[in-house]
Amino acid sequence: MKEKTQLNDIDRSIYDFRYDEDKEDFLDSGITPDIIKEISQEKNDPQWMREFRLSSLEIYKKTPMVKWGPSIDGLDVNNIVTYIRPKSRMNTEWDNVPDNIKETFEKLGIPKAERESLAGVGAQYDSELVYHNVRKEVAQSGVVYTDLESAMHDPLYADIIRSHFMKLVPPTDHKFAALHGAVWSGGSFVYVPKGVHLDIPLQSYFRLNAKGAGQFEHTLIILEEDSSLHFIEGCSAPKYYEAGLHAGCVELFVGKNAKLRYSTIENWSKNMFNLNTKRAIVEENGRIEWVSGSFGSHVSYLYPMSILNGRKASAEFTGITFAGEGQNLDTGAKIVHNAPETSSYMNTKSISKSGGISTFRSAVTINEKAEGSRSSVSCESLMLDRISRSDTIPVIDVKTDKCDVGHEAKIGRISDEAVFYLMSRGLDEENAKAMIVRGFADNVSKELPLEYAVEMNNLIGLEMHGSIG
Amino acid sequence: MEKVKLNKLPVPTFGRSGVNYTEREINSFEAENLTVENNDSKKLIQYIDTTRTFETRLTVGSGAKARLVQIFHNSGQTVSRLDAVLEDNAKLELIQLYLGDDTVSEINTRLKGENSEFSADIAYSLDKNDTLDINMIAEHYGRKSSSQINVSGVLNDSAAKTFKGTIDFKHGAVGAKGSEQEEALLLSEKVHNRTVPVILCAEEDVQGSHGANIGRIDEKLIFYMQSRGMSEESIYRLLARSKLERIIRSIEDDDTEKRIYNTLEWEYEQ
Amino acid sequence: MAELLEIRSLNAGIEGKELLHDISLSVSQGETHVLMGQNGAGKSTLGSTIMGSPEYKVTKGSIIFDGEDITLDSPDKRAVKGIFMSFQNPVEIPGITLSEFLRNALEHITGEKIKLWDFKKKLNSAMEILDMDRSYADRELNTGFSGGEKKKAEILQLLMLRPRLAILDETDSGLDVDAVKTVSRGIEEYRKNSSGTLIIITHNSRILDEVHLDKTHILMNGRIVKEGDGSLAAHVLENGFEKYINKDDIA
Repeated sequence: MKEKTQLNDIDRSIYDFRYDEDKEDFLDSGITPDIIKEISQEKNDPQWMREFRLSSLEIYKKTPMVKWGPSIDGLDVNNIVTYIRPKSRMNTEWDNVPDNIKETFEKLGIPKAERESLAGVGAQYDSELVYHNVRKEVAQSGVVYTDLESAMHDPLYADIIRSHFMKLVPPTDHKFAALHGAVWSGGSFVYVPKGVHLDIPLQSYFRLNAKGAGQFEHTLIILEEDSSLHFIEGCSAPKYYEAGLHAGCVELFVGKNAKLRYSTIENWSKNMFNLNTKRAIVEENGRIEWVSGSFGSHVSYLYPMSILNGRKASAEFTGITFAGEGQNLDTGAKIVHNAPETSSYMNTKSISKSGGISTFRSAVTINEKAEGSRSSVSCESLMLDRISRSDTIPVIDVKTDKCDVGHEAKIGRISDEAVFYLMSRGLDEENAKAMIVRGFADNVSKELPLEYAVEMNNLIGLEMHGSIG
Repeated sequence: MEKVKLNKLPVPTFGRSGVNYTEREINSFEAENLTVENNDSKKLIQYIDTTRTFETRLTVGSGAKARLVQIFHNSGQTVSRLDAVLEDNAKLELIQLYLGDDTVSEINTRLKGENSEFSADIAYSLDKNDTLDINMIAEHYGRKSSSQINVSGVLNDSAAKTFKGTIDFKHGAVGAKGSEQEEALLLSEKVHNRTVPVILCAEEDVQGSHGANIGRIDEKLIFYMQSRGMSEESIYRLLARSKLERIIRSIEDDDTEKRIYNTLEWEYEQ
Repeated sequence: MAELLEIRSLNAGIEGKELLHDISLSVSQGETHVLMGQNGAGKSTLGSTIMGSPEYKVTKGSIIFDGEDITLDSPDKRAVKGIFMSFQNPVEIPGITLSEFLRNALEHITGEKIKLWDFKKKLNSAMEILDMDRSYADRELNTGFSGGEKKKAEILQLLMLRPRLAILDETDSGLDVDAVKTVSRGIEEYRKNSSGTLIIITHNSRILDEVHLDKTHILMNGRIVKEGDGSLAAHVLENGFEKYINKDDIA
């Protein structure tokens, strides 16, 4: 048998540039009622939100960490800075954004993408949004895309936010949901009125620059009847030795006949603990589509959940996870069928390399009322060497007979034959393997807008580079 | 009697799924040790028709072949644990039929030896308030070891079944192969079916696969059979019976087969 | 002669789309009819609708079999009354052998238990007519059968179940010359022994050379556009369907 060479990681320097922060802007680290009150003060929270934060903190203290999943040793929440005062107020023009922050986003290609292919952009730097803007014609159609803080104080939206905020993901859901409820800041509020279809996507980009800090943004999207939206979320951070924490929360309300696509390319640095919660509730004949690429972070717990609550509601989840050296990425999805004739489709790929651990974890539940429902799950894993690990842990829970549920899973390696074939056509081994891995990942890349597919392929190229010793 | 956590999933998952373990009040396990010596071949049949809590420890020696048939037709609760170790070139064929009231069954097979082979053919037929919890774990240590697990069955009335099947490729199990397939036919709106098909993998050169199909019978198939004169009810009966019969026929022991046919009140032909 | 099958102004289709429009058709006891038309003309849809496929819903009109309205009957009731359809793509049924399946079907259709010995005897002689190896009886139904084997297994069921009306949906497609001869022999046997009535569905067929035809119906876009005696089929085979295409439908 042929000896396998071990694959080495390379520095992802294009994401690793950073600027030093002003220590004075940091609130003290740790999670105490005083810190929480200070955040409320800084953000000028309405009274209900002040109370909400404090009660979430109580829940956080009482709730134990889950007994499954990767270890979060190395994350000392008491050392995490939960809030960093923003350098500037939220802007609607890039020219008003402080230079180094603007430069950061320019390096990440955000303003360029906004000019060329997006309907609107939000950019968060550490704890708060620094930029938010939508195209005029989009704003005129009644679409709201703003930061949650301003929306909370706007008499037009204050009630909507109060009646939706953390209703889908209550602080009691799990320990880090409670933490989020206590210390959240930043994030976006999107409202698409009845009958409005956005043809080009909106994007939020989250950048965590400060070291030893956490990012706790909250994304709330509401789609009224017969509307549609594609929302793109990007995240990255430079690498530090101190652990960082991302405990964001995404709540999506998809109305009758509405369609939402939520795409994420997550590329946190490999010192991040990514304990994110995403959830969508879908009404009659509505549809949620998740496209999810997980490349970064040290440890991830990420299982976007779709609750199909109306007749004929549907969900599709397409995901890829690439776990390299030092990474333990536990990802997957949850789907709950709560109404008749609902359908779901899940297609995921995972890749493990250089000692990385990837786990696909899912739960599909077909409840009593979901007669006539269909669900199909397909997951495939690729092991790129002998020192990595790949686990697949799906649960299928069916409580009605009138349904059709299918599941298939496969695990294996790159075939020597395929590599040989490509090499016989002139590719070197590294490129041959990178090409095969890109092909393996095409379930996700073909669902992404072109420029994001290119970015994802570059990430795969980066991960594969230097893979042949 | 004491309440004990049984059938623990080798790697726990979402607590709310309720599949990480099951609990029963049990007495201690009665244990039985069985060994098939090197290059020997043995056929073993266990017919469980009472309430029992028992453990079977089976060692299949190098080049040996074992065929273990377990028929669970217990009234009341039965808890079974099967612990099998397979040496080089050993082969274990496991045949299980579950017809009992309340059964908790764990099967832990360690494919220790090179080229060891494990196959499991499992069928169940549950109705009324029957419950069944199976925790199947095939641990691949040996190079080129292989496992093949087939599970199929029928749930009726308020029956509840959980099948947890884990194929675990340990580091070093180069060239190992494991596959698992489950078909669950659901015949009543009150049934509860849980399937947890786990693959754990710490080796590159392996092939693992899982498949599961759960639900009703395909509409096209029903139409085809109806067009030949069979009513929907009899189609379900026929298909349900065929799932069991395939397993029963593979027992290859006339007395056991007759005994099962008798208890099922089926006509025995041939 | 009494009509065995009578279709009266039938409209049928799938949800939101009508596929058959105003079909009327009568078949008398003992006759052989052929339904011709291009792909997608609605021939198989009509066959499946007569058999009662849940895929198609009748929205207007009725199907009368032997004087009884069967429009709302389930497929098994129709089968028990004596209708049979050979499927273009027979379904694979893992876990159930051909022999087990047939015996079960036969017991349902006749309403009587049949002794294994008697059944085997009948089955063997039917298989002989079709040049089928006896081992097929113990193979899982249609599972892993080749296209030709599946077609033969359908004709075998026709011979065993002896229906009063048989609808043969593209039974000869994909068969070589020898296989067509074998299948034709089976059909001839059915006609002799059961004084069977036949509807043959085909779009171009060698099988028509082998059987005597009483009537030809040509379907186009879900309508019967032309009817005639057996010679019409031969004419169409020679000259094609073009002249029957309704110009309005193309526009």
